Amino acid sequence: MFSKIKKLYSQALKYLGFRDYDLPLNQSEDSRFLILLVGLMSFLAVLAFSGTFALNDMTSRWSSGLENKVTIEVPVETKEGHLLSNRTVNKETKKLASKLENNPIIKSVKILSHEEIQELISPWIGKDLTLNDIPLPGLIAVELRRSDSKSLDMLKANVKAISKYAQLETHHEWLGSLISFANTLKTLALFIALIIGGATVTAIIAGVRTRLAIHCKEVELLHHMGASDDYISRQFQRHSMILAFKGSVFGTLSGLFIMGIIVMLSNGSGGSLIPAIEISYMAVLFILAIPAIAALIAMVASRFTVLHSLQEMP
Amino acid sequence: MIKFDNIAFKYSENGQDILHDVNFTLKRGSYHFLSGQSGSGKTSLMSLMYLGHMPTSGQITMFGKKVNMLERDELSKLRQNIGVMFQDFRLLNHLSTFDNVALPLRISNRPEKEVKDHVNELIDWVGLGKHKTDLPPTLSGGQQQRIAIARAVIARPKLLLADEPTGNLDDKIGFRLMGLFEQLNRMGTTIVIATHNQKIIEQFGHPCLSLVDGTLEASPSNKIAQKIRNVF
Repeated sequence: MFSKIKKLYSQALKYLGFRDYDLPLNQSEDSRFLILLVGLMSFLAVLAFSGTFALNDMTSRWSSGLENKVTIEVPVETKEGHLLSNRTVNKETKKLASKLENNPIIKSVKILSHEEIQELISPWIGKDLTLNDIPLPGLIAVELRRSDSKSLDMLKANVKAISKYAQLETHHEWLGSLISFANTLKTLALFIALIIGGATVTAIIAGVRTRLAIHCKEVELLHHMGASDDYISRQFQRHSMILAFKGSVFGTLSGLFIMGIIVMLSNGSGGSLIPAIEISYMAVLFILAIPAIAALIAMVASRFTVLHSLQEMP
Repeated sequence: MIKFDNIAFKYSENGQDILHDVNFTLKRGSYHFLSGQSGSGKTSLMSLMYLGHMPTSGQITMFGKKVNMLERDELSKLRQNIGVMFQDFRLLNHLSTFDNVALPLRISNRPEKEVKDHVNELIDWVGLGKHKTDLPPTLSGGQQQRIAIARAVIARPKLLLADEPTGNLDDKIGFRLMGLFEQLNRMGTTIVIATHNQKIIEQFGHPCLSLVDGTLEASPSNKIAQKIRNVF
């Protein structure tokens, strides 16, 4: 079955005007190894790039989602350690919201309902537990017109003047650390992709050198018959390009399949502790271009290796 | 047309000179035999003639061009004017008879239609019409030799070099092959044939270049034939 497909493939190539290599490159045993290696590298590259794209998407969602937004909390416990009743918390929260509503630096004010607060803390305590008897803090989501330090200072002063219990949560501190951590991961993923690229180039160069050594007599014959360096290198270029493309298609599709499963699992976790992973169509398009990029890298690496080696011939 | 001036050659920097003080000129359309005992430097001289190696010193002029002044691409083009028939044929075993013979034309970027026409004609002429798609290892030594001959002459080279071309052939086919070389020579191809076959040297009576201890002396063919007779 496989040999029939191979024969059909070779006939199709001949029909399209491609002919066999002048050098017996298809008989080299290392061809399969190169396909496997490039496949594996492409698989890892897909994971690294997907990770980068997912982190990029996540950090921009975090940033844009919380831009200009602050939360005012009326805690259930005072700084002195006294517990406030639910009634007091509700009263303080409503007072704050109504007074801030007309503030010119504020775009919108929204008191979070008990259900919304429950939704927020459900990943930690579960959904089955009833919160009626547990004291909950009052939370007000505030959107500022501008998120500069002047507006924040003004808001802080206003909140302090309205309620002695209320605290301002600007998100900036923890969000900054989170984004910085995500950016470090992105850089790491890109660095890994770079290492993968370097390793692929090294493997291709080693493969080409091996094939040059194996077929040195045939290469020498072509050279003596007047084949230019370009003519000889084109044979190796085409061969490496096809091998890299085959391996990379296999690796990329496998990588995308695994990423698809990860994305599905993350989305199916229903907003729990694991954030939903999303990969944009543009990112998928870029990942689908990996086989073409791998083929191009293989072609260029082969060309330079062969041209360099041929310089040793007169 | 082909001029060797004070050529010396050795394979490595610290090695011994294989050739020294080699001087000769081959006129366009000339026909020479090259003879010499084993180890006299015959193969090395042939290698210099097909530009497989560069001389350690001296100057080779080929088809009016000084070889050591040429760029790599120009050297490749120059090699396309030289047909070589190696003693061990050096066929590419993974290529069919047709593709082996077509190689020089494809290297010089001839259109595929021209390649097909010329190659089919020549393969028929050398009597391998039924073996166009066969691979060399499936053919006899004589048939492989005919592929090597066809490959050497397919691009109508200006210079044809043949290393012991009659080595594996019986006398009848050997003389027929020599007849082919005569025809090519009449069409203007310069021919150099390295051979030990004194019968052929005597019968065809072309000038003979004799290599002795790495240096060359030109002699009339009958004198060389006498020398070879004395050696063996």
